[in-house]
Amino acid sequence: MFRSESKLYSIVAIGLLLFALGMLSVEEVSAGHHEVKIGVLHSLSGTMAISETSLKDVVLMAVEEINAAGGVMGKQIEPVVVDPASDWDLFAEKAKDLITKDEVAVVFGCWTSVSRKSVLPVFEDHNSLLFYPVQYEGEEQSLNVFYTAATPNQQLIPAAEYMMEEVGAKKFYLLGTDYVFPRTANKVLKAYLKTKGVPDENIVEEYTPFHHQDYQTIVDKIKKFAAGGDACVLSTINGDSNVPFYKEFANQGLTSDDCPIMAFSVAEDELRAMDVPPLVGHLAAWNYFQSINSPENKKFVKNFKAFCERNGLPGGSKRVTDDPIEAAYFGVYVWKAAVEKAGSFDVDKVREAVYGLEFDAPGGKKMMHADNQHTLKPVYIGEIKKNGQFKIIYKSDGPVSPDSYSSYLHPDGNYPSPTGGPKEKAGM
Amino acid sequence: MLRLFRIIAFALIKILGALSLCAAQGDDAFIRSEIRKLADEDVISRKAAIMTLAKSGDLRVEPILESYRLGEFYLWNGEMVLCRETVEDEDFNEFCLLSDVLTAEPILGADGEPTQIPLEELEEISPSRAERKLANSAKFLVRLSSPEPEVRMSGAKKCGDPPGIIEAVAQLEEMAQNDPVKKIRYIAKESLLLIRLSRTSLEQDPDAHLEIVRELGEIKSLRGLPRLQEMFDKLMVKVEALPDFEEGTDIEDLEPADEKALGIYKYAIAYKYAMNQINSYQGLVGGVGNIFRGLSLGSVLILMALGLAITFGLMGVINMAHGELMMIGAYATFEMQRLFGHTPDNSSDWYYVAALPAAFLAAAFVGYLIEVLVVRHLYRRPLESLLATWGIGLLLIQLVRLRYGDNIGVNAPTWARGGLEVVQDLIVPYSRCFIILLCGLCVLLIYYLMNHTKVGLRMRATMQNRNMANSMGVNTQRVDRYTFAFGSGIAGVAGCAWTLIGGVTPDMGQTNFIIDSFLVVVTGGVGELIGVICAGLGIGVLMKVIEPLGIGSVVVGAIWAKILLLIIIVGFIQFKPAGLFAPKGRLSDV
Repeated sequence: MFRSESKLYSIVAIGLLLFALGMLSVEEVSAGHHEVKIGVLHSLSGTMAISETSLKDVVLMAVEEINAAGGVMGKQIEPVVVDPASDWDLFAEKAKDLITKDEVAVVFGCWTSVSRKSVLPVFEDHNSLLFYPVQYEGEEQSLNVFYTAATPNQQLIPAAEYMMEEVGAKKFYLLGTDYVFPRTANKVLKAYLKTKGVPDENIVEEYTPFHHQDYQTIVDKIKKFAAGGDACVLSTINGDSNVPFYKEFANQGLTSDDCPIMAFSVAEDELRAMDVPPLVGHLAAWNYFQSINSPENKKFVKNFKAFCERNGLPGGSKRVTDDPIEAAYFGVYVWKAAVEKAGSFDVDKVREAVYGLEFDAPGGKKMMHADNQHTLKPVYIGEIKKNGQFKIIYKSDGPVSPDSYSSYLHPDGNYPSPTGGPKEKAGM
Repeated sequence: MLRLFRIIAFALIKILGALSLCAAQGDDAFIRSEIRKLADEDVISRKAAIMTLAKSGDLRVEPILESYRLGEFYLWNGEMVLCRETVEDEDFNEFCLLSDVLTAEPILGADGEPTQIPLEELEEISPSRAERKLANSAKFLVRLSSPEPEVRMSGAKKCGDPPGIIEAVAQLEEMAQNDPVKKIRYIAKESLLLIRLSRTSLEQDPDAHLEIVRELGEIKSLRGLPRLQEMFDKLMVKVEALPDFEEGTDIEDLEPADEKALGIYKYAIAYKYAMNQINSYQGLVGGVGNIFRGLSLGSVLILMALGLAITFGLMGVINMAHGELMMIGAYATFEMQRLFGHTPDNSSDWYYVAALPAAFLAAAFVGYLIEVLVVRHLYRRPLESLLATWGIGLLLIQLVRLRYGDNIGVNAPTWARGGLEVVQDLIVPYSRCFIILLCGLCVLLIYYLMNHTKVGLRMRATMQNRNMANSMGVNTQRVDRYTFAFGSGIAGVAGCAWTLIGGVTPDMGQTNFIIDSFLVVVTGGVGELIGVICAGLGIGVLMKVIEPLGIGSVVVGAIWAKILLLIIIVGFIQFKPAGLFAPKGRLSDV
């Protein structure tokens, strides 16, 4: 008796649920004329949440701004936020859901290269668009992705050059976390240093596992390596390992005078989590710093802080902006501008409209490359200050053009052709 | 006596220095005129001004040079001004807050308010790369006159680094003799030798050169090693070019054919001797350092595992939320820091003293709740308790993430920064010493509590034979609750200690602690305190000994060290499934 009763209940419940869903979809259809959906695919839990949450926040802020200003081609943007939970398989699944179930016009998302590689086939299969806002190792070119952050030649090479020319470093300790970005980045750096005549014995390459916490031995090695006073560390250490690394570095008596560390994965957002005094004087290379002195940037920083405060996000007005945050933010505007230029939300038309697009970003004027998927950006090098911000000590002359494939890894100039892109008409 | 004399002599020099500084203060006008020269059209005059400023010995020069390097000087109506800060109005127009070039104090306008000038009206002085580099190295020359030992030391060090600042020699000689700090005397001497090493060549004055090489070897100069190696390598090219050179023989064993060859051999041997001296000392220091690093890692591991040794080892609860309890300890530390207002600029080190008990109580409280709400119902079902505590861990992570966000920083108290140089080139960080001490303290506390108090007796009785203990009048449920809370509290203390050397994130428990903690407890033998200590120290030392091992340029490194360690432990568990110290007697039947 009891059993069949509960069965009855569940049937009723399912029926109600279906009915509600039906109502919802009816509503959606009717609302469809006024709204366009976009996907936000950033981890909000798991190990990458530490970095990716801020990107979700800033994308939502851009959406709010655009909606307040009348939307895109008269349509309000409706963001669909999903949480792939730092799980690479889940990234692909969620991307597929966004594209097929929610039918979003475009997706903004991913941080790690492995998550991007995992969603790539999904975007290519469905000929959909992804805006990817984080500096990465290059060696990839998909017509279904726009890369709004740096390629190796827009970050690594200028930084290495700076260390050689300005700091006078002759020995280089390449230290990274063991995954694809540091490995490829160090390959590019090594190839570059060799063309500059740095002998093999003056380059050390070392990796640590993810979340490595005990840097005693490595710092001891760096101390010996840098004893001559002409060495530097080029660091691609990722995430939470940076904290124990810098702490150990300072505690063993090393300073930025003895051996400066040039970091490629430490930005203002990461500095919030660190004990800054030991880091003062060390360097980082990016395409944007919160300290960029321009009215547009000041306004952006102020708006972001206000946005976080208003929405009760953790950190509130103490939040900071950094390179990936800027890249994620202007990505939304690039898409908007391209849609308006193309007069359509169609992926192929939007893609064509993105090429060569010029736009104002918080960090200054930027431009999408005319025939590859990347962005022309200026390169900055900043020195860490006591307040967790960077003092900009170097700026490239104008924007640097992106190489999707590094010329140092492909000396013969044979670059693979881009993948993905429009589907054949026959296949439609 | 000599020491007293030294201090007096140094004091005299400082007084004299201060007097001359007073004289220098007198001609502020002179420094100002030199600063004005930094804006000259002529490069040579600009560079000369940098050096004149640096040699003035006026301590105010360092920030001036730094500002110059960073491009903070501007010309305003033909006058030099400093602008470190800008303000902006509602429309984002930028204004420079002008300050005095020498004193860096704001220039007040007629109305008594700081002068603000639109950025466009100022002409920026941007030094070329060569000038920036010069200003940077000249900065170290200024530091030699600083009264702060640390600043003086960094000056003495950098003056000797290549290419070496020749202008510093006189002052370095002075410091090598009379500085009251031993380490600075050493560094000044080392820097002097290094400067001289690059100024005397083997061809022109071999005796003087080799004397310097010998001295560098004598003082076991680590900084000299790369230079000696470089010179030695150059010389070896010559040696190999000699007709009687044979591949693979030691230079000591070679038979020189003529006078010239004999000379070259002699030099090469001198270099090699000095290098060997340095290397063997470094080897010794490295060995001792490795042991210390192993002890330090070991004590971190023990501290992590102690709490688990109680909740899992004694009580048998597979407590997957153990890492999160440590995380709660770390966040309690953060809260204390906030409460005491401890920031890098405004340290109030007492926060840490309050943080230890706070971390203990916070974690113990959460542990108590976990026991009462969940674990209590699962004592006879270990697998379910594994899943349930894992879930609780996830819940705690997300709760903390929602409350604090992901990026928070715990600033170590000032006494935990830096390290103690025990002997030359062996630095022991204070934070790690503290953790070793804390670890020892916790072990003693637990040992005492378990074996010499009534509470401990009840705990042991309950864990060994619950029914018997119950029938003897022990309230075993209550004992369970407090034992679990105590183990959790110890985990909280470990989390608090962790903030000194590591980062604080919501998922730190899962990524950093839980696996290592179980590793230590299981290897040590479940239920034995001594096992945890031996396993922790063993794993720590083993790890730190394996990591730097290597043949030639192939080094084990952090990744393979971890893999090898796991393989060793898997092998070990195969032979001793119950761990290092297997429980004996009645306990082993359970």
